Parts: sequence; C-alpha cells; structure tokens
Amino acid sequence: MAQVALIGVNKSFGNVNVIRDIDLQIDDGEFVVFVGPSGCGKSTLLRLIAGLENLTSGQISIADKLVMDLPPSKRGIAMVFQSYALYPHMTVFNNMAFSLDLQGVSKADINDRVQAAATILQMEHLLDRRPAALSGGQRQRVAIGRAIVRNPDVFLFDEPLSNLDAALRHDTRVEIAKLHNQLGATTIYVTHDQVEAMTLADKIVVLKDGEVMQVGSPMDLFNFPANEFVAGFLGSPKMNFFDGVLSGGAGSEQGEFEGQDVNASGARLVSGDKAQGDAVKLGIRPQHLILDDNGPLKGKATLVERLGTETVVELISDKQTSFRFASPESLDIANGQEVSFSFNAAAAHIF
Amino acid sequence: MHGACDVNKKSLGIDMTRTLKHVVLAFIVFIWVLPFFALVTTSLRSETASKTSGFWTAFTPTELGHRFGTHDKGDTEPFISMSGNIFERLNEGKDSFEIEGDVKSILFKGRVPDPDNPEKTKLIRQLIYAGEPMDVRGGEFVFQSSGDFTWTFAEATAAKPKNLDAFINQNPVFGPDAYIEVLFENKNVPNALISSFIVTIPATIIPITIAAFAAYAFAWMRFPGRDWLFVLVVSLMVVPTQLAFLPVLQGFSGIASWATSLNAWMTDCEATKTCQVASKSFASLWVTHTAFGLPLAIYLLRNYIVGLPKELLESARIDGASHLQIFTRLIIPLSVPALASFSIFQFLWVWNDLIVALYIGPADSTDLVFPIRLQKQLGTFKDQLHLLNASAVISIIVPLIVFLSMQRYFIRGLLAGSVKGG
Repeated sequence: MAQVALIGVNKSFGNVNVIRDIDLQIDDGEFVVFVGPSGCGKSTLLRLIAGLENLTSGQISIADKLVMDLPPSKRGIAMVFQSYALYPHMTVFNNMAFSLDLQGVSKADINDRVQAAATILQMEHLLDRRPAALSGGQRQRVAIGRAIVRNPDVFLFDEPLSNLDAALRHDTRVEIAKLHNQLGATTIYVTHDQVEAMTLADKIVVLKDGEVMQVGSPMDLFNFPANEFVAGFLGSPKMNFFDGVLSGGAGSEQGEFEGQDVNASGARLVSGDKAQGDAVKLGIRPQHLILDDNGPLKGKATLVERLGTETVVELISDKQTSFRFASPESLDIANGQEVSFSFNAAAAHIF
Repeated sequence: MHGACDVNKKSLGIDMTRTLKHVVLAFIVFIWVLPFFALVTTSLRSETASKTSGFWTAFTPTELGHRFGTHDKGDTEPFISMSGNIFERLNEGKDSFEIEGDVKSILFKGRVPDPDNPEKTKLIRQLIYAGEPMDVRGGEFVFQSSGDFTWTFAEATAAKPKNLDAFINQNPVFGPDAYIEVLFENKNVPNALISSFIVTIPATIIPITIAAFAAYAFAWMRFPGRDWLFVLVVSLMVVPTQLAFLPVLQGFSGIASWATSLNAWMTDCEATKTCQVASKSFASLWVTHTAFGLPLAIYLLRNYIVGLPKELLESARIDGASHLQIFTRLIIPLSVPALASFSIFQFLWVWNDLIVALYIGPADSTDLVFPIRLQKQLGTFKDQLHLLNASAVISIIVPLIVFLSMQRYFIRGLLAGSVKGG
C-alpha cells in the first residue's frame, strides 16, 4: 500500500485551477521529486499534502489514513521550508524541541531526541546558538533537524537548496541523499532544478500548469519522455526540436519523420495517436548529434560556449531553426562556421 | 581630467547638502532642547535669582545688590576697630544658595560737608569701591573685594549696626532646594505622581494586551468580514476624544448610578451614607484611554505582525502549535519592538494628558494627575517660578526614563536569521 496517495486532487484559488485532477502513489521509503517550472503548482501540491492549503476536491491519504480533515500537525509530516523558517528568538535546541514540547513530551525524551537528530546532522556544537549566528548551510541543517526530531511518516522539502550558493548546494544535496539512505523515510521534495531532481529522486513527478506530465524514474524520464515538455525540461542543454510531418510508421513504436531541416526514420514515436501527415516534432538531445562532414543536418555556429567539461555550440540552420550541439571534447569550432551533423535515429524522438 | 573635475564638483555638492542638513538638524535640536534646558536651569536656581533674572544669566557671574548688617543688633560692646566679612554676614543662617563672588561696590548714603556751602552738609548717594574709605556713623569703613571689611573709630564706640547695600558680582550657584520643597514639604506633587502612575500603567497595559490579541487575529486568522472590520477599527482613529466626552460621561454616570443602586441593594451602606459610586474615577480614565488608544494600537501591531514571515507561522502549525500557542510563543516575543514602541506612545500621551483627566478623572484633590496639578500650581506658584519648574521637570523625568529604557527595543534586530539573508 502506498505511503502517500493522492486521488483526483484539485485546488483552485477563485477561478484559477492551480492543481488539476492529480493522481499519485508514493511508496514507503521512496524519494519523490516534484519538478516543474515556476508557477506549475508543485509547491501548492506539497502544501496540500502538508495541510497548509485546503483541497478543493479529491482525497489525500498518508500512511493509509485519509488526512483531508486533519490539521498539519496530525498528518505525520514534517516540512523544511525554502526560507528555513527557524524561530529567530529560540536557540537551535529550542527550535528543534518546539514541536515535542507542544506535544507534551518529557524533558528527558526531548533532550534525547534532539541530541540524536543533532548527532545525525553533526551539529551538536550548534545547539546553543540562535539562528542569526548560523551560516546558510547550518540553518538548512537545523531546519532538517527540526523535521527529523518529529519522526514523521513523510518528509516534505520545499525548494530547500535554492537559498544556498552553488558550492554549498552541491554539498547539501549530497547530504540530503545520504540522509535519505540513512533514515529511509518517505520524502517528497519540490524543486525547479532538474539536476536536483535527476540526482536525488527515486521517482520524478514532472508538473506543468497543475497537471502531471509524467511520473517515473529519472532515467526513464530522460530516455523515454512522454511528451515534448518533459523532453525539453530534463537534460541540459535542452533537447533540440525540429518541425516536420510524420511520413510513416503511424500507430507503431517507430516513425518516419520528414522535416525542413532533417529527415529521420526509425525514431521513437512517442504518441500512438498521430496519423500519417500530421505535424510533429523531432527531438534530438544535443549530446546525440555526431559531427559528420557528410551529415544531413547543417547549421552555422552562432555561439560557442566552452565549459571545460563540455563544449556547447549554438547553431542556426538554413531554415532559421536554432539548435544546440554538446560534446565532451573541446572543439575547434568558430563562430559563423558551417557544421554538419549526423545522428542515430534510434536516440531521437518524434512528438 | 575632466572626469575628476566632475567628481569634485559632485562631492562638493554633497558636502554642501550635508552641512546644510547638519545645520538644520542642529537648529531643530536646539529649539527642542532649549525649553527643557530653561526648565531645569530655573528649577535649580534660588527663588530670588529665578525671579529677578532669566535662566540664560545663571551660568555667568551676575552683579546683584544685597543688603547686609555690619553686626548683630545684640552686640553692644564698645569697640575701636571691628572687622568682618560681608559674605559671612550675608550667608548667616543660609544652608543653600550661599553668595560667593567679588564685592564690587557699596552704595553710600549719607551727609558730607557741602563744598558750595561750608556751613551745611548735603545728602549724597555714591558708589564706594573696594579699598576706598567711607564714613559710617563717624567711623572709617573700608572693605575689600573679598568681602573683608574693617570699621575703625578714633575711640571706643558702641556703634549701632548699620545696614549697607553691597553690589556683588555673584558666582553662579545651583541647588536642589526647589525639588526638596516640592517633593517633601507638601503632599501635592507626590500625590500627583502616584495618581499619574495609577492612571498611566493600566491605561498602557490594558490597550496593548487587547490590541496584541486583536492584531494577531486581524493579521493571521481567517474569519468572515475580517478586512471590513479592520477598516472600521482603523477609521475609528479619526474620532477625536473631545467629541466623545459627552456620551462617554453619560455612559459613566449611568454605570455609576447603576453601581450605586447595586451597592445599596447588596450592602448595608445606607446606614453610613457611603453608597455613592463616583462616575469620574481612575477606572473611567483607564477605560477611556484604552478605548481611544486601541485603534492606533491595533493598526500598528497588526501591520507589524502581518509582516512576520508566513513560513514561521506555517512551521509552527506543522509543529502542532494552536493559535494561542503561536501567539504567546512566537508572535509576542517577535513583536517586542512594536509592542515597546506603542507602549512608549501610549504611556507618553496618557501621562501628559490633561483634558481627559480633567473631564473624566477623579476630582478629589488628592487624586489629581500630574498635568492637572501643574495647572493648579500655575495659580498658586505664580511667583515661585523655581517651584513650578521643579514640578514640571519631575513630570518630564518619568516619561524620559521610560523612553530611554525602552528605546533599544526600537532596533529591529530580532528578526535577523529567521529567513534568508537575515
């Protein structure tokens, strides 16, 4: 049985539907990441699960218990906010002890549990400090510690890393992953950063405009995106899309594509609904293009970005379609140079 | 070159504006502080000094006339030469505001041979300076600017004491006499101080308590009509207290007569004729000040509390805190700056309020609050500026202490660290 289950969940603010008919199952111990562009409803969905917003319709259950009418504190969840939301007038110890204190847990128990959580997070030496005396990363850890102390069924993280600088963000991401392995607790994590989503998640839920675009493991989503949005959202640099028509293979797994810039046969046909002659798009990841002087895809380089580990080239085709090429090698391509590419059609998608 | 020149011009302009700002600021501070300074200075001067010259003369030597007797009336021993000191004579029996300084001159009034008319004498008034001899009762009177004088006769004479007017360049002198008199010699000022505290402390604490609860509800609780109700409360700020005196008084007298009948019915006060409950009392002042202080208090606190980070309250909800727990354990500690600033405001205007206390406060002479007492002193101490000023300074000192002790809470440092950046 699922640890968290959402059935037909809807949420509207006035006339605006921000969450539309979401069904979702999250298993015990799973690390689920809600990812999507800003305004897609991912934070609202998390707040619905937490009980900070009321459902318009639908059902939410946590640990086999319907929680729609329960206050946040009775739902068996703990939340880490983007701003950390530490109580500024309390010491770290009191911040972590606050929820236990409200539950009437005995002083000795509180002490044990706070110490235990502090040990897990290696911050025993910070317990007497106030949040103002902590660095960003330490505040982040206190916020996580406050969640651990409550021993919840589900951890909720609302963009916890977006206030940290890039280096610290990477370290904290690794720590969160380790912590999840250590505690094995069900975790729902909201982010707009696809790298966090790819690295942390057992299961990614891609959201757009309040609807679930695709649910699956990171590599499934990367390799077999269910639609153009997911394909474009995951992966960096973004997938290239070329306009064209479906020239064959309708109804099958593999289709033929005929476009202005490029043709392809044997590409993965994502939708079975498309008929021959329908307008479709061919998607090829920048990494899947192969430099080939006789290749069918031609473009003029407009910008070369050398990242050290990777070279990304922005190109524009004769028909004014812009696309990218990414290679782990450092390349001698100059701006304005004509470059030709071939590609493996099996790695391309038709949407 | 050109650029550097521009920069110089610009910085010069900034310097000019800054200097101008400082001048204006200094001027404002001067105007503001001057009356207080005058008040304190006058209250520390002697009665004569405060009556005869302005406070600005209090810090430099001033020439003043003093009358002294050469010796006591009882001393009738004949003497050839007598010496004494003018200051000792003047300060005899004084324990404060002792006169010190230089004796400039003594006014000589007496008859001398008339040079135009050798037969006769004529009356002259003349200033005799230190070291010059002067004829007093037939003896030679010489004084020094230090105040020492000698009075020498040709033969032993039992001269009567002579009163002389000395002009003394007097050193500044201050003393706490006015304060001692005002505070300890009758009970009016101490009573007024106590009454003012009785009025002000509850009239500050009650509205701020009610307002804090109301402000939390207006800021963070959802209930129908919340915004309209808040607009209504805020719009009550425009009602002037004076406009409401009549209905408020009517209300209090209604309550008082009801309480009188209840008293008559419940107790056996009729036997001692003590049933009457006053409609004008400390309690009516508390209620009135609370009522008229609440709109601004709610407005200020609500605007502060609504600005606290929403995540803090959500986090507390997830931690299982009820509204009351959120209020007492988060909102109150985090709102200390706002609570402190409002209580300073409320304290100051209740403490300084004259008109509400005059209309609604107790009329008993022992229960009068400080501003009314000051107003009454204007009549009784008309000629005793030093006493009036001492009372005024005492009434200022209390709010000054309150302000200085609370002002550190104005600094909004408490929120640091709660949210990003912090």
